[in-house]
Amino acid sequence: MAGIGFEIRRILERDSFFAVLKAYGYAGLISGGPWVLSILGVMAIGLLSVALGAEQQAVNQFQICVTYLMACSLILTGGMQLMFTRFVADRLYAHEPRIVLPNLLGALLLTTAVSALLSALFVLLTFDGSAFLQVLLIANFVVVCNLWLVLIFLSGMKAYQRIVRTLAAGYLLAILVSMLLAPFELEGLLTGILVGHAGLLFAFLHHVVREYPGQSLLRFDFLDRRKAFYSLFAMGVLYNLAVWVDKFIFWFVPYTSEAIIGPLRASIIYDLPIFLAYLFILPGMAVFLVRMEADFAEQYDRFYRAVREGDTLMHIEYRKDQMVYTARQGIYEIFKVQGLTVVLCLLWGRDLLQAIGISPLYIHLFYIDVVAVSVQVLLMAILNVMFYLDARREVLMLSVVFLLTNIVFTWATLLLGAETFGYGFALSVTLTAFLGFFVLARKLRRLEYETFMLQR
Amino acid sequence: MTTAASTTPIADIALLLEGTYPFVRGGVSSWVHQIISGLPEFRFAVIFIGGEPSLYGKAQYQFPANVSHFETHYLLDNSQHTPKARKGDPAAFADMAALHEQMRANPGEGNALSMTDMLKAFTTLGGPGGISKSDFLFSEASYDYVSEQYRQRCTEPSFVDYFWAVRTMHTPLFVLADIARKLPPVRMVHSISTGYAGLLGAMIRLQRNIPFALTEHGIYTKERKIDLAQATWIRDHNDDVSNTLHDEMGYIRGLWIKFFEQIGRIAYSQAEPIVSLYEGNRLRQIADGALAERTQVITNGINLQRYATALQKRPDGIPPVLGLIGRIVPIKDIKTFVRMMRVVVNERPDAEGWLIGPEDEDPAYVQECKDLVESLGLQHNVKFLGFQNVAEILPQLGLMMLTSISEALPLVLLEAFASGVPCVATDVGSCRELIEGSTPEDKALGSAGAVVTIADPESTAQAALALLNDPVRWQAAQQAGLKRVEKYYDDRMMFGAYRELYQQTLAGAVAGAGQTAEC
Repeated sequence: MAGIGFEIRRILERDSFFAVLKAYGYAGLISGGPWVLSILGVMAIGLLSVALGAEQQAVNQFQICVTYLMACSLILTGGMQLMFTRFVADRLYAHEPRIVLPNLLGALLLTTAVSALLSALFVLLTFDGSAFLQVLLIANFVVVCNLWLVLIFLSGMKAYQRIVRTLAAGYLLAILVSMLLAPFELEGLLTGILVGHAGLLFAFLHHVVREYPGQSLLRFDFLDRRKAFYSLFAMGVLYNLAVWVDKFIFWFVPYTSEAIIGPLRASIIYDLPIFLAYLFILPGMAVFLVRMEADFAEQYDRFYRAVREGDTLMHIEYRKDQMVYTARQGIYEIFKVQGLTVVLCLLWGRDLLQAIGISPLYIHLFYIDVVAVSVQVLLMAILNVMFYLDARREVLMLSVVFLLTNIVFTWATLLLGAETFGYGFALSVTLTAFLGFFVLARKLRRLEYETFMLQR
Repeated sequence: MTTAASTTPIADIALLLEGTYPFVRGGVSSWVHQIISGLPEFRFAVIFIGGEPSLYGKAQYQFPANVSHFETHYLLDNSQHTPKARKGDPAAFADMAALHEQMRANPGEGNALSMTDMLKAFTTLGGPGGISKSDFLFSEASYDYVSEQYRQRCTEPSFVDYFWAVRTMHTPLFVLADIARKLPPVRMVHSISTGYAGLLGAMIRLQRNIPFALTEHGIYTKERKIDLAQATWIRDHNDDVSNTLHDEMGYIRGLWIKFFEQIGRIAYSQAEPIVSLYEGNRLRQIADGALAERTQVITNGINLQRYATALQKRPDGIPPVLGLIGRIVPIKDIKTFVRMMRVVVNERPDAEGWLIGPEDEDPAYVQECKDLVESLGLQHNVKFLGFQNVAEILPQLGLMMLTSISEALPLVLLEAFASGVPCVATDVGSCRELIEGSTPEDKALGSAGAVVTIADPESTAQAALALLNDPVRWQAAQQAGLKRVEKYYDDRMMFGAYRELYQQTLAGAVAGAGQTAEC
């Protein structure tokens, strides 16, 4: 499902500086898009509404609510995202595109039911705000959960300009509605983001329906044990849990956090730098989309075609070498571009924090967070290659290592003191990425052996 | 010291049957059933070896009371083994590499391996100190060896084809080694073909030192070569333009043929006696590596009483009906029969040609034959009767026709003789011996019909007409056939021969065992 990568690579072939900028701009927006744009959107809503005279406290509450919505929805749907991505890829490979839409609707129905039930239980039991606030929180959660699932199809689409326009329109809509409803404080801002996300959900769903006409309304083949990989579900949940667990630890350890609204707590010192740092993964994500998704997918395809269609062993090995070379180039380019980003952040980070009014006390935490999220892009690239190679056991192992080390190291930094904050996550993701390199190298070295001898 | 229970044989003779009795109907299966039923004084163990379980349905025969043991094994069934990465024992793979080197060193010449080498190879195969089936299927050492061999030897491009050929070829060996190890004690084994069953016989013979008799109906290795030459599942990579008649056979086809030749030679080297149905096949076995002094001919026989009634039912005169009894498949060359009928009908417009046999095996070929009947305008003369009771059809025939391009010892000819029907058959298998006789004494009985060349409708028709239009000759042929089948092809003689074979082989085993004990 690397359709968009191929499209964007075509711009690159025009070979001008402007074309390169444009291509990577699109790629960055699309791959990092929803994640980065939501951070930007929420920050923008916050800044604007404060400027418009809303209370800082309401804005804080709003930002924390959205953060929790994002974290919990990503963890809850991470499993289904991976499982469903694989299901769609398999069905398309088996030339059954008409089965995709009814299954997407089935998956959305299931996601809606589960997310509504869980969020309703949580909100009704722990929030004592207005009923409208409770409904808003539940609705927001259900919408983002569904949105993540629909966004799976993004990288498979070809109309990148339309996607970028849709994303921009969705967040503009969110900002506009929030501004209009800013006088209603928290409820108003939450309505704004709900409208924006719902707009995105239905706009993208519209794209998907047009691209994959269905043969029936609802199907649940994606849960069928013969067609589904439940191990992918575990990986998705574990990986997203690993990404968020250090934040949760900082939110719920009393001396690094404070209560914001209802049961939700936040860690002022920890949150701002890390979310700011996530804005700087865009260059890496852009390279990821073009190099890993498009280039690697192409080489992968050629390798397996050589195997299936009876090429010589020498040619199969040549194809594998090309595939390994592409993976290595991709990872190397991500390394370069994120390395440069880190250097620039080190140079101008202080000025940047000052410019947006964040205390320079956060600077060291910001530095280490930029390094950590850059390594996280590398880790994603490694995992992506592993998914292509169907190295499910290895990915599961890495997800577990990521989760456990993040818990242990983050806990250790809490004991070691404030100057080590952020190093827990950074160390955990770096260790996992290194381990990933070795596991991937071994997997690639044994690829022909495993391809021929261990197929079922 | 082993307990009595584990050394008491569960049967006298273990029959090793590849893809036939009791699951598949056919000439060999009927013969096996006949032998077991005809020799009730021996107890038989039936060891069936098939390809994959899905290929076989219910048993087609009811076992006689003297079948005391029955086992079913599938050579290509890997469902018990789930893929799991493993290293593989380097020493075992080195031994295996040396073994292959040895087999390559003297190809086609007698026995490439000594007895001790063979015994060691079979004992370690899938056993302690050797390569296990899982190692063969899933280990890195196994992959390294296969890919290395491909690099060094395979002259065809497709690695995936080579890989699967090697895998499919060798997987059965592990199953065979396992059968050989676990087979309950028997006094001797008797394989009814070479191939995998013959190899199993050789393994058991080497490991247990019990006699191994071999009977071949067709010649397995030759049949496999015909199959392989026609197999479409093997890709040939020469392009269509330069594709001459197997001028250069693909490497993978060649590999399969060498494999079957090799396992055939191993079976011949261990089997004694080596039985064939007729002299031609005996010579073929010797050419393929069997020692002449171990070979012998025991022909098939039929139950004469069963056909005596058919003879009584015959009408006076010669019905102008030419019958072909057999499946409607290319190897029977039905098209030559149809073309022959055109020539016959030109001279005898009252003549009819009956095709008697099942039509479900190759529907496309059946359709081609029917189309040919129509285009030759023979709709009123040539009839497709499907499967019929042979004893009831035979009295209605004036001549029995056989146009096959390959046969061993066709029982239908014997059945026709016993029912008083002269035969016109192609010069394949033992047809000439059956019609004209083999020994001088046999030949003196006269010709029971005519022998013609294959795929020659014109001379086949002339031979048929010569008999149909000449009652004196026809009567003489009928009498020759009746006498010949009575004198040489009575099933009581076949039972007698096998009774003697089993008795002698079993007695020899006892004597042999005594000798080894004395040493």
